[in-house]
Amino acid sequence: MLRFLLRRLFHGVFVVWGVVTAVFFLVRLTGDPAVFLVDQSATRAEIEHARHLLGLDRSLPEQYGAFLLAAPRGDFGESIRSKQPAMRLVLQHLWPATVELAVVAALLSTVLAVPLGVLSATHKDGMADHVSRLGSLLLQSMPGFWLGLLLILLFAVELRGLLPAYGSGTWRHLILPAVALAAAPLAQNARLVRAGMLDVLQQDFVRTARAKGVPERTVLYRHAFKNAAIPFITVTGLSLGFMLSGAIIIETVFAWPGLGRLIVQAVPGRDFPVIQAGVFVFALIFVALNLLVDLLYAVVDPRVRLS
Amino acid sequence: MRSVRGMVSWWLAALVVTLGAAPIAAQTVDGLAVDADAELVVAVPDDTTNMDPRIGMGSTRSAYIRQVFESLVDVDAQGKPVPGLALSWKPVGDLTWEFTLRRGVTFHNGEAFNADTLLFNLDRMFRRNLDRWGVKDVTAATSFEKVYPTVSRWEKTGDYTVRIHTSEPLPNLWDAIGREPLVPREYTVKNGVDALNERPVGTGPWKMTEWKRNDSMRFERNESYWGSPPLFKRLRFQVIPEAGGRLAALRAGQVGLVDSVPPLDAGVLGRESGIKVVSSPQKLYCRIYLNARPKDKFDSGGKDGLFGDQRVRLALNLAVNKEAIVQKIFHGYAQANASPVASVAYGYAAQEPYAFDVKRARALLAEAGWKEAGSDGVLKKDGETLTLQLLFPAKHYGQGFDETTPAVAEMLKAVGVQVVIKTIDYGTLLQTVTKGTLPYNGGFAACRTSNNLDADDYLRDWTAITLINWAPYPPELAELYRATRREVDPQKRLKLLADLQRRVRDWSPVVSLYQEVKIYAVSARVLRFVPLTDLHMDFRGVALRK
Repeated sequence: MLRFLLRRLFHGVFVVWGVVTAVFFLVRLTGDPAVFLVDQSATRAEIEHARHLLGLDRSLPEQYGAFLLAAPRGDFGESIRSKQPAMRLVLQHLWPATVELAVVAALLSTVLAVPLGVLSATHKDGMADHVSRLGSLLLQSMPGFWLGLLLILLFAVELRGLLPAYGSGTWRHLILPAVALAAAPLAQNARLVRAGMLDVLQQDFVRTARAKGVPERTVLYRHAFKNAAIPFITVTGLSLGFMLSGAIIIETVFAWPGLGRLIVQAVPGRDFPVIQAGVFVFALIFVALNLLVDLLYAVVDPRVRLS
Repeated sequence: MRSVRGMVSWWLAALVVTLGAAPIAAQTVDGLAVDADAELVVAVPDDTTNMDPRIGMGSTRSAYIRQVFESLVDVDAQGKPVPGLALSWKPVGDLTWEFTLRRGVTFHNGEAFNADTLLFNLDRMFRRNLDRWGVKDVTAATSFEKVYPTVSRWEKTGDYTVRIHTSEPLPNLWDAIGREPLVPREYTVKNGVDALNERPVGTGPWKMTEWKRNDSMRFERNESYWGSPPLFKRLRFQVIPEAGGRLAALRAGQVGLVDSVPPLDAGVLGRESGIKVVSSPQKLYCRIYLNARPKDKFDSGGKDGLFGDQRVRLALNLAVNKEAIVQKIFHGYAQANASPVASVAYGYAAQEPYAFDVKRARALLAEAGWKEAGSDGVLKKDGETLTLQLLFPAKHYGQGFDETTPAVAEMLKAVGVQVVIKTIDYGTLLQTVTKGTLPYNGGFAACRTSNNLDADDYLRDWTAITLINWAPYPPELAELYRATRREVDPQKRLKLLADLQRRVRDWSPVVSLYQEVKIYAVSARVLRFVPLTDLHMDFRGVALRK
C-alpha cells in the first residue's frame, strides 16, 4: 500500500511537471500579453517597453529557467491583468467559492443519483423507471445556462427574492447554482447506476443472497450496488475534478466568483502567470482525485490489489 | 423673570426646529423622502483589473477608478469639461499651461492635495524621477512621454499653482494631463504603487472598503468630500456577467441599477413599472479599418494596401446602410456618425452623413478602375479581385457588434466586394495588427474609445503608425493635423478641428459603422441618476427613496 502510494505520488509529480511545462510553452505560442496592456493607439516602442517591464523580452529558456526555480515555491509570478500574485488569485477563487459549489453539487448529484438509479433498475419498465429516465433525459438535455436562468426567474423574480439571483457568501446563495450545476451529472449518474444495477441484479450472487433470505435493502445496497459502483466512482471522481476546475457557465449566470471565470478571462487576455498557476492547481486536483478513486476501487472491490 | 423664561423657551423651540429641520431638508429629494444610510447595488458586467489609474482606464476600469480618484478636469452630463481638482486652467503664452488647484481637498487618508501632489503625478505619468521617489514603473496603457514628447518640464509657482511647459504649443494639454486621475504622493511613496491597487486612496466621493475580485467592490461615502456628495451612504458594484442575470436581479429588487443593458431588452424594460431606462451616447466608436498602408509600413510581401485609393474607401462607406444598422440591430440605441470624432468629444463637428447610395458607391469604384468582369458581380482591376479579408473579433464588443459585422459584409458584397470574414479572438487581432501581418487586402472590425474629452484623441489615430493606423494621413492632412496642435487660441483651433474632420470624412480612412449609446436600467427607487457621455457613472447628488 505504501509502495503504491509512493509510486503514484512520484507519477503525480511527473504529470504535474509535464502539464505545466506544456502549458508554459503553449501559451507563449498564442501571442504576446503586452498588447493588451497598451492603448490601441500605442506604437511599437510603447509595446516593447511593456514587454520589457513584464520580462517577456528575455529569451524563452531564460524565462523557463526562472519559472522552474520559482514554481515549486508556489511563485507563478504576478498576474498581468490584475497585478496580484497569480497563485494567490487562483487560491482565492478556488476557496471557498469553487470548492463549496463543486462539493455541494457533487454531493447532490451522487446522493440523489444512487437511490434514483437503484429505484429505476429495481422497477425496470415500471412507472418509477419511466419517470426517472425521462427526468434524466430532460436534465441532461437542458443547457446549464438555460436551467440557471429559469431557476433565477422562478425563485428570485417570480417568488420575489425567495433565493438570491446572484452572488455568493451564504447557503441561500449556494442553492440555485448548486442545483443548476448538479443537474446534468445527476442525470448521468442515475443512468449509470441504473445500467450497472441492471447488470449486477442478473448475477448469481444476487439470486443466492435473495434465496438466503437477505433483506432486499441489504441485497441492493450492500451486495449489488457495491459491485455496480466501480464505473460510478470513476465518473464521479472525474466529474468532481471538472467541477473543481470551475463551472464557467454556471459561474457566469449566477455571478459566482469561482475559478472557471478567472481562467476563462485569463486565456484570451494571455495572462500567462494565472493560466500557469490555474493549470498547476487543476493538475494537482486531478492527480489527487485519481489517486482517491484508485483507493476507493480497493475499498469497494477487494479483488483490486494496490500493489 | 417671566420674559427671560419666555425668551429661553423661544430659543429652545427655535433650536429644536433648526436641528430637526436640517436632516429633514437633507432627507428629501424632489419632494420624496430618501434613505441617507441606504446602499445602492449596481450590477456591472465585469470587474476592474486595476485601481491604479496609471495602469489603464478602459471603459470597465474607469467606472470603478473614477469613484475613488479624481482628475484636474471633471466632466458634466453633456460631456463638457468642468473644474475638478483644478479650479481653472489656461495657456500662459504658447508654450506654458497653468493649472490653479482647488484648496481644502484631502485624500481619504487625510493627506492634503496640493501642487506637490500634481508634480509627483506628472513625474509618474512621464516616467521621470521614479528612482528618486522610490516608486516602481508600471505597464501603463498610455505612455505620456511618448504620446506627448513635447511636454518638457513642470514647476509649482505656488502651493496651489502648477505650470507645465512644452517645447511646442500643445493646445489639448488641459485634456491630456487634466483627465488623468491623481493619486496621493506621500501614501504612494510610503506604501508603494501596489497599494494603489490593493487599498486605493483618492479624493473622490467614494472610499473603497472591500474588493472581492471578480465578485464585488464596496464603497463608503467620503464624508469629507469637497463637492456635492452622494445622498446615500454605501455603494456596491456587483459583477453579474450575464445580461439576463443582471436584469433578473433588478426585477427581483436585489440591485438598484443595471449597467450595459442590451438594446433588445431596453424596450421591454421601459414598459415595466418600477423600472426606468436611461441612455446616453458614448465615446465607443466602431469601424472597419482597411489596409491602406504603403508597402514599407507593414509585412506586405511587396504589395501596397489594397485600399489606398480614397475613392474605394469612400465607396465602401456609401455601401453601408448605417441607419439600418442603428434601427434594426441596435433598436435606435446607437448613432451613425460621419465625423472621425465621437459626437460627445470636445471639438466635434457634425459632418455630412455618408448617404447609403449603392449606385454612387459602384460609380466611385468604377472610377477607381474596379469593374465587373464576370457574371458573379465581383469587381476586378488588372486581373485582381476586389477582396476584403475581414478580421472579426467576435464575442468582444457585444452582441450588437457581432451582428453588425456580418451584416456589413453582405452590404459590401452588394457593391461587388468579395468579403471573406475571418472570425478570430480579440487577442489574435491585436497580435496581427501589432506585428503588421494584416493581409494587403485585409481589414478588421474594431471599436475604439477614449478617456479624454478632446477631439485630438481621435484625430491622432492616423498620425504615427500604431495598432489601429492602417491609413496614415497624406501630407496635406498631416500638416492640417499639426496645425490643430500648434493653435492655442480655442476658437481658431475649433475651426481647424472642424476643417480637419470634414477633410478626414471625405478622405474616409475607415468605414464608419456606429457610435455606441449606453443603456442603464434603474429602479424607480433611484433618484436623479443621469448617465454620462464619459466612461463612468457619477453618483454625486444621486439619492435612494425610502
